[in-house]
Amino acid sequence: MSLNLAQRVASATPPKLARRIRGVSDRTIAWLFVTPTILLLLAVNIFPLIWTIRLSLTNFRTNRPNNPVEFVGLENYRKILTNPDTWASLQATAHFLIWTIVLQVVLGFSLAYLINKKFRGNDLWTTLIVLPMMLSPAVVGNFWTFLYQPQIGLFNYFIEFFSGVDPASFSMIGDVSLAPWTIVLVDTWMWTPFVMLICLAGLRSIPPSIYEAAECDRASKWRQFWTITLPMALPFLMLAVLFRGIENFKMFDLVVQLTGGGPGATTLLTSIDLKREAFEKWRTGFASAYAVILFVTVFGLASIYVKALNKVKDR
Amino acid sequence: MNDFINGLLRLRRGPWEMVATVLIALGVVMLMQPIALVLFTYSFLVTLIGTVMFIVVSHFPE
Amino acid sequence: MSYSITEPSNRQKWFAGILVVGYALLTLLPLAWIIATGFKTPADAIAYPPKVIFSPSLEGYVNLFTSRSRVTPEDLAALGPPTTWYDAIVRQYDMVINGPSRYGERFMNSVIIGFGSTFLSVFLGTIAAYAFSRFKVPLKDDLLFFILSTRMMPPIAVAIPIFLMYRQLGLSDTHLGMILLYTAVNLSLSVWLLKGFIDEIPIEYEEAALIDGYTRFQAFYKVVLPQAATGIASTAIFCLIFSWNEYAFAVLLTSGTAQTAPPFIPTIIGSGGKDWPAVAAGATLFLLPIMIFTILLRKHLLRGITFGAVRK
Repeated sequence: MSLNLAQRVASATPPKLARRIRGVSDRTIAWLFVTPTILLLLAVNIFPLIWTIRLSLTNFRTNRPNNPVEFVGLENYRKILTNPDTWASLQATAHFLIWTIVLQVVLGFSLAYLINKKFRGNDLWTTLIVLPMMLSPAVVGNFWTFLYQPQIGLFNYFIEFFSGVDPASFSMIGDVSLAPWTIVLVDTWMWTPFVMLICLAGLRSIPPSIYEAAECDRASKWRQFWTITLPMALPFLMLAVLFRGIENFKMFDLVVQLTGGGPGATTLLTSIDLKREAFEKWRTGFASAYAVILFVTVFGLASIYVKALNKVKDR
Repeated sequence: MNDFINGLLRLRRGPWEMVATVLIALGVVMLMQPIALVLFTYSFLVTLIGTVMFIVVSHFPE
Repeated sequence: MSYSITEPSNRQKWFAGILVVGYALLTLLPLAWIIATGFKTPADAIAYPPKVIFSPSLEGYVNLFTSRSRVTPEDLAALGPPTTWYDAIVRQYDMVINGPSRYGERFMNSVIIGFGSTFLSVFLGTIAAYAFSRFKVPLKDDLLFFILSTRMMPPIAVAIPIFLMYRQLGLSDTHLGMILLYTAVNLSLSVWLLKGFIDEIPIEYEEAALIDGYTRFQAFYKVVLPQAATGIASTAIFCLIFSWNEYAFAVLLTSGTAQTAPPFIPTIIGSGGKDWPAVAAGATLFLLPIMIFTILLRKHLLRGITFGAVRK
């Protein structure tokens, strides 16, 4: 009797529905699995982005919510893009960006090259070198200010030890000409391992047979380096440069703890400048326009990064 | 070079992405250069065009 | 014996080894200094030339976990002898302990927000990555790029609207608000990494399971999940490290109840200026778990750091 009923139901059910009972269709699963991610990202990224664009066209100030909000068109953009102070802050960012990338690429590639010689214990030392980049930049940056203290700091002591300069005579953080280099130094300390790891992956992706062939052709080591090692590792190097470029373009935590943008505006990187406009002067409309400019720049760089990433992945 | 122009005319992805990449890079350089304020002023426009172009042309056929 | 002509000579190995070890020692010095300073007395911490050999003290840790106030020597004498070892340390400076400091709470906030957001982003990331890896999702490449690009956005720029939005929704300075925010930031990494891991699991395994009468769901959690377990674990570590270290959102969006440790540690001050041993003690406790994780999980590091660009 019951079997009979089940048969009748089964024959009356259209095949599509039957599949849904046995298990949800693949299409539904795909949507079910992707939707939460997309929704969360829409709520936390896209919706705020649209809001920022809208705010950037007004004179809204968060600390005066009762003031009438006026539509000012592209006025905020005009103000930012003709403001010498903003321009100066982007130049400070450029100084930081260029020197950190140069130093990190040179150091990171050299280290990777040396580690790739596969001396005994190389993986342990690689891990130890990686430690600084895994730590909280704000906490570590804060501690670096201690190392840089003019009277008592370990860094100043080292300088005195090796050059005899009076440790109380210079302040890495307080001096206008030194501060831009101070942040470069700490960022290089922290992020060289990142470039090193990517370069190491690049070097390890070169098949040894190529070198063996070059040896047979009696190519010198020097020549092998320029014709094999460097060109083969170049896509990885590009990836590292782009990634560090994007990260340091938006640098905030490390530098805000180290120098706070000072002395004067010598280390006032764009993110710190933006933070002051948005959360200290509360010029929300103006800051939103500033944010949109940074958004678009980072988005542009990110598209180039993804292109480079796919190139490396295809290898 | 000929391939490049050909690709542009036939709306192929590769060469157009190259153009967009160059525009974005140019915009970023203009944004951060210390030479002229006027370049800084127009940097955003260049980056914006480059970025929008990149999004559009990445849907062109290979 | 397999001897390759491209194998570096012993002399080269020695030379490379010495340079790398030299760099490693130099670069570890600031970290060693943090740990050492945590065990110094305030006087030893600011001695010049810097003291490498010192008699260890737990003053930094006591100061980190307590709030203290100064009392007159007469009042101190009236209190009678100290009852605990930390009382004794504090009383050397004419101080008494009023109660615990905020550090414990802030540390717990970091734990709650870190683990909460890690769990959510790995859970959502795993199912999204599975869908992206196995099914035809419309606009797949655009969605993946969009997901990745959210990670690249400058936090301060994102924080302006989030700040306004959270104030409206009552989410500012709450654990839930921070968990959702960190989940969103971590999702991009977790989707990208996990998609790479799931891509590497042969699709035949699932097909076999489907033929055996498993539903898609069953195939997913009985076949794919166990295969991807290592990948999921290392993704979780990366999400945890990000949430643990994050500073920009934390400093802008939290001030009290939900404040995490990174914005708190730099604000630790003593009675006369900065109490460096206490700061160092706080930093040590906060950084040490990550250092240990890093050393234990070194084999899985590379992929997470490079956004899945590099395979094993």
